[in-house]
Amino acid sequence: MEFKSSNTQQTEKEIFLSRILFCSIAILILASIIFTRLFYLMVIETDDYKLRSLNNTIRTQAMPATRGLIFDRNGNILASSQPIFQLEMIPEQVINIETTLAELVELGLIAENNINNIKKRIDKNLQFKSIVLKRNLTDTEVAIFANNRINFKGIDIRSRLSRYYPRGEAFAHALGYVGSISSADYSRFDPTFYTGKEQIGKTSIERNFEHYLRGQPGSQKLLVNVRGRVMESISEKPFQPGNNLILTIDSNLQEVAYKAMGDQKGAVVILDASNGEILVMLSTPSFDPNLLSIGLSQNEFNALTKNKHRPLFNRAIAGQYPPGSTIKPMLALGALEMGIVEPDVYMPCEGKFFLPNYSRPFNDWETHGSVNVVRAIQASCDVYFYELANKMGIEKMSLFLKNFNLGESTKIDIDSEKKGVIPNREWKRNNFNSRENQSWYQGETIIAGIGQGYMLATPLQLAVATSIIANKGSAHKPHLLKAIENKNSGENEYITSEEINYLENINEENWDLIHQGMVAVVNERRGTAYGVFPENSPIAGKTGSSQVFSMDKASGDELPLELRDHGLFIGFSPLDKPEIIVAIIVENGGGGRVSAAPVAEKIFNAYLAKSLQNAN
Amino acid sequence: MQIDQFKLKNPDIIADRAHIDMPLLSAFLVIFIISGVAIFSASNGNISFLIDHSTKIIVSIIAMIIAAQIKPMDYMRIAPWLYFICMVLLILVLVIGETRNNATRWLSLGITFQPSEMMKIAMPLMIARYISNGTLPVKNLSIIISLFIVLFPTVMILLQPDLGTSVLIAFSGLVIIFLSGIKKRYILSGLLVFIANLPLIWKNIHPFQQNRILTFLNPEQDPLGAGYHIIQSKIAIGSGGLFGKGWMNGTQGQLDFLPETTTDFIFSILAEEFGLIGISIVIIIYLYIVARGLLIAINSQDLFSRLLASSISLTFFIYVFVNMGMTTGILPVVGVPLPLISKGGTSSVTLMIGLGILMSIRTHKRLVTK
Repeated sequence: MEFKSSNTQQTEKEIFLSRILFCSIAILILASIIFTRLFYLMVIETDDYKLRSLNNTIRTQAMPATRGLIFDRNGNILASSQPIFQLEMIPEQVINIETTLAELVELGLIAENNINNIKKRIDKNLQFKSIVLKRNLTDTEVAIFANNRINFKGIDIRSRLSRYYPRGEAFAHALGYVGSISSADYSRFDPTFYTGKEQIGKTSIERNFEHYLRGQPGSQKLLVNVRGRVMESISEKPFQPGNNLILTIDSNLQEVAYKAMGDQKGAVVILDASNGEILVMLSTPSFDPNLLSIGLSQNEFNALTKNKHRPLFNRAIAGQYPPGSTIKPMLALGALEMGIVEPDVYMPCEGKFFLPNYSRPFNDWETHGSVNVVRAIQASCDVYFYELANKMGIEKMSLFLKNFNLGESTKIDIDSEKKGVIPNREWKRNNFNSRENQSWYQGETIIAGIGQGYMLATPLQLAVATSIIANKGSAHKPHLLKAIENKNSGENEYITSEEINYLENINEENWDLIHQGMVAVVNERRGTAYGVFPENSPIAGKTGSSQVFSMDKASGDELPLELRDHGLFIGFSPLDKPEIIVAIIVENGGGGRVSAAPVAEKIFNAYLAKSLQNAN
Repeated sequence: MQIDQFKLKNPDIIADRAHIDMPLLSAFLVIFIISGVAIFSASNGNISFLIDHSTKIIVSIIAMIIAAQIKPMDYMRIAPWLYFICMVLLILVLVIGETRNNATRWLSLGITFQPSEMMKIAMPLMIARYISNGTLPVKNLSIIISLFIVLFPTVMILLQPDLGTSVLIAFSGLVIIFLSGIKKRYILSGLLVFIANLPLIWKNIHPFQQNRILTFLNPEQDPLGAGYHIIQSKIAIGSGGLFGKGWMNGTQGQLDFLPETTTDFIFSILAEEFGLIGISIVIIIYLYIVARGLLIAINSQDLFSRLLASSISLTFFIYVFVNMGMTTGILPVVGVPLPLISKGGTSSVTLMIGLGILMSIRTHKRLVTK
């Protein structure tokens, strides 16, 4: 080091000191900048950052509510929720995934060809999140796993609730079914009531009373780390279970009807005549709603929707059939009221009816000889009603039939109901395109007299019409929901339906005449359902056959099955104070007497036996 | 201004013999305790991590003690050699260096190390030696030569690329030129030249460095990508509030929302868990260390020691400032750890060697003067 004079050293010290002073001031300024910044973040803006910190770490997890139960009118359970089990794996807890999967294959719990797929999912999945190895375990599989559980670290059985219908197919159309929520469902229902894990009602009661059944989901606040792993649960708001529903359905009667229908296609509707409660709503063939709630594969579901017998289709409210001879009592009442026919005037039936300018006759199914209005109903004489229709004309006919709520919605409390058709000139103009097809022909009036042609009605509509006949002019709106169980009070909130007067100012004697005809159908020789029921049954009824295929003579046995006539039966019992109303249709049954009336017999038999039991 | 005003008292005899400055050592120990507390929390209570960290602290304290035993004269003597060796190593890095995470910083010669870390020591030694050879105020030619001495390693390290280290090394040299009385108008014109060349510099730095600066200017534009670190760090600090969430209770750190908690962002952990009160204490200790370093510089008897001690102290402050600046979002994220608190490694060893030199200057000064 060179020698420096003390002067130089002094200058150097002064320069150095002044620069150090500058640096010190700079340090203080920079330190204050840092401190100001910290003060800004940690005092002024701290609430904002505290919130953002919470948002980072708090996850709200929704907990699905349990779905309300569904009972029949007698307290029998029709729909409940039951756990279904699935095998799940948390990859990070499994010691050796390869051997574990191999052992599960050995136990028969997973399929060997599924292993690669599972491994792929393990690789994609977060290691602490559980993945499903197998859904819908059977009881045996659950038992097999339970016995070997100790050998499987990181693998467990988890359950979730799924809709269960203990009585299966017989009730499928009345109850509807549930399934996973689709985007279409979210457009119908407020998504805030769902966590996405629930099952949602897809048809019928399950769909229309979804808002009672669903309840309200709860929520759980969870502390999570950056990868979403749950560290602890902070708070919990329990879910509100859905309301239980009580239906008007009588499950015993429903099962009787289901058995009585056997393999036949068709529908049965039974109403309580006094209040419009639907005791039975059956449509066959049916389906197992349990399979739908567990979840079908796309192929299985397609097979169900494309089945030519249409098991998912609710024939009871959406099946539209020509009502056939079942409208005869109604037309007879109209004709009596209008003075077109007289009660005691007999008319000859030679099996054929001729219309001027028509080359071909209108055939009767039988030659009846001489009939008055009661005998015409009893024996279902077509010629009598051809004549009647010819005199009444289509406009008066359609006007009068509409008094029985035909061609109109019954306003039942579930969706998908069809309105049927009561044709007239205006209807034809509105529903056909070509001018030629729009005009009404007299021949169409004639066949409308026996419920054929364009006329269509659903089984439910026929039941309501029968109810109007039985009650001599009034009926209650039909409904499936009897009561809603209030969760808080535990009491039931009952649904009542209004009574509607469809027909007023009808001569009581005329009512009696058609009732008389309908009793005769069941109880008197030459009655179309005579012999099907026990002697002197307290039942009034009417059979019907509707042509599927137009032939000069519809002869049941020689035609292929799908072209045979539909068989219908409407009826009520007892006679003086009607309690139950029955409407039955058997597709391609070959006529009301042979197909529908026997079903009615079994139902009335069961009902009357039970009311006899109750009376004792 | 009188130096006497800032005169340090005579140190403890035993400590003086061991060439240890007790006030500095005490400050270090407090900082190391804070470091242990922070590291334990940042590693989610990992004991073995803490033990590993403590071992590294002990190694760096030993390095400091050894560095303190070497006389300032000897440092001056080896300065050119050290600088030369470091330059050779830096060139070797660019030729045969090891690349990790897209940066070529490491050299494997039996042991793997970063020559840029050695340059942190060599740079202030070299410039202090070169300038103290002349007299103050520093002459223009010396300024130009000094600038070249600073420039070469800075560019070498910038090429690795390691923006943080190159800026700090350049600072440790430039600050000595500043302290030796460079005219203010030179500084101003230097700044103007720098600003004028900013577009050129911008074009020549790496895209990821450009990205860091863009992210710094607007972190919210890419909250899950480049801006993630800054945003999460600000959330950690801001949510700490006045008193903090309590030790081991910081959600940002404990639940891993904050990245690099044991290294670059340990300050955010401290802020989150101990609040403004807690980190004010940390800042005060840092300021105390810097002030003590500057006092040692003022009290040293020769120009070399003075320049060297002040460069080490001021660079130490810049470390602290840059780290706190980047964690609070007022500086770009350049990867500078918080001195003495971040997880130990080579950088903490070089840092402690520098502080050891400070102790050497303090305790050897009477031996140098006549």
